[in-house]
Amino acid sequence: MLRKEVNDLLTQTDAGTPMGDMFRQYWIPALLASELPKDDCPPVRVKLLGERMIAFRDSKGRYGLMDEFCAHRGVSLWFARNEDGGLRCPYHGWKYDYTGQCVDVPSEPDESGFREKIKLRAYPLVKIGDVLWTHMGDKDNRPPLPTWEFATVPAEQTYTSKRWQECNWLQAMEGGIDSSHVSFLHSGSLKTDPLFKGARGNQYNQNDKKPVFEVVESDGGLFIGARRMAEEGHYYWRITPWVMPSFTMVPPRGDHPVHGHFWIPIDGENCWAWSFDYHPTRALTAEERQAMIDGYGVHNQYVPGTFRPRQNKDNDYLMDREAQKRGESYSGIWGIAMQDASLQESMGPIVDRTKENLVSTDNGIIMARHRLRKAAEALRNKGVEPPGRTPEHQMVRSAARVLPPDQPFKDAMKDDLRVRPGVKQTSV
Amino acid sequence: MASVGPFIDVNHPTLLHGCARAATAAEAKYRVQYPNSRTRSSRIFALDPGAAEAMYAITEDPWNGAHFLTVSNARPVDPAVTAASGLPIAHPDGSTADLLAELEGADVVVLLATRGDNEGAAEVIAREAFGRNIMCAGFALASGQQDTQVDRVVNSMRRFARVLVVARDNDYIPAMLSALRA
Repeated sequence: MLRKEVNDLLTQTDAGTPMGDMFRQYWIPALLASELPKDDCPPVRVKLLGERMIAFRDSKGRYGLMDEFCAHRGVSLWFARNEDGGLRCPYHGWKYDYTGQCVDVPSEPDESGFREKIKLRAYPLVKIGDVLWTHMGDKDNRPPLPTWEFATVPAEQTYTSKRWQECNWLQAMEGGIDSSHVSFLHSGSLKTDPLFKGARGNQYNQNDKKPVFEVVESDGGLFIGARRMAEEGHYYWRITPWVMPSFTMVPPRGDHPVHGHFWIPIDGENCWAWSFDYHPTRALTAEERQAMIDGYGVHNQYVPGTFRPRQNKDNDYLMDREAQKRGESYSGIWGIAMQDASLQESMGPIVDRTKENLVSTDNGIIMARHRLRKAAEALRNKGVEPPGRTPEHQMVRSAARVLPPDQPFKDAMKDDLRVRPGVKQTSV
Repeated sequence: MASVGPFIDVNHPTLLHGCARAATAAEAKYRVQYPNSRTRSSRIFALDPGAAEAMYAITEDPWNGAHFLTVSNARPVDPAVTAASGLPIAHPDGSTADLLAELEGADVVVLLATRGDNEGAAEVIAREAFGRNIMCAGFALASGQQDTQVDRVVNSMRRFARVLVVARDNDYIPAMLSALRA
């Protein structure tokens, strides 16, 4: 249960809100690099943290992200011409460069200096991996560039997708740290999904549906350990890292690529679910990459030409009750990503947490909310930088391992939970 | 295409509330407004003086019937020879409490510890809770402690708790108890 005022604090991320201020402390994924594939390509509308912006790539390959609307009469610059190093509004020809600076007002004399007084709010847009990242906060307090492993391994080892999720970011993210639902909601997919099936760890998941949890605070967020019974009194551990504010990873299975998510607010009632898969030490196989493109694993299928999932609330997520009865899908929804999203969206755009009844096994979620709230309040009241901004906080991995019963995961798996370049993930 | 009769196709509901599109803020106002749960019965045990100090800081807050109890550390508890009725526990006002009576009707047991030297008491409480199918959660309060000390606390509770949390700050206790409607 969460009081309404705390729920409001955690879920609202528009400019000027405590959580909005906090998200603006980080580099966050803004677009897939493939959305701006070449110089002078069409601009793209972007909405993040309640701000409507336009993204473009100019004639010299420089990325820009700025206020969507022309300073003159408020026209959307999606209609602009991307030419000669800037976006030109088609209405009266005002032109802006990648920094948001107005560089041409045709109706005014060049010598007047008028154009220099016009500047749209703009944010940096930096390509790292398959992703264009932005920092929407104070430029004098910009954190180091992101160092997440999925974005920094060679291109052939990684794949990233994004999808529109029609609910608040927090309830989506809470699914990412809720390890206990896997044995139910995803039980069918563990047997059939090409990016999950075949791992020895899956058997432990299937055989023990009552995991025991250990939640340990880390410098950047949390490690949430789920422990299930393995052979000879040993424990099968699956460790989910959460790094503030909204980065989660799924513990790996066998030699399958490792996957995870960013949960980025679009506005109060919508978010981007970013999903990545990578292998730390080898290229993804053609089959793996095709499976990701086809919507398996943590990825999804799309309404053609959009980032909206093919299964969505307008078609009841293509619920298949017969597949449910046949045991192919526990919930009747196809695909791991949409199994999660369908349920999270069904809660409503912002779930009313005053009505929920959490239990002890939800302590990962409780702790994450607690840390988010504390960090947002410390930032607002004392100017304290929140965790998760620095490379050492970002260099984490998920891991899975079988351990003797007397070994705490936080010690026995300490190295497994850190990025070790050239060393493959620890998995079962 | 699923059909339940000559005219009704469940995949094409007649009204908005009959499909997933009803997951809107506007439709949320039509949700049933009656309470969906009854008051829980929570028992919080501080296993050592440090845990008791952290617990006493919040016992006066408005809780939903949670009972706060301390375990006496006057002498070590040997779980092999200590029956539930013999465990020395007390209410915050110092009056003696009875473990069996406290666990009657309890929904959740929370063990708080800052040290690992009261493992015996934890076992007696957890054993009794297990026998009654009561969920047992353990909280290692790591505020200001070194890793080795925290490990000792965690190891002392691992055998008994279905959930184990290592919290750096004591203010997680009220946050967690509020979330659990204690």
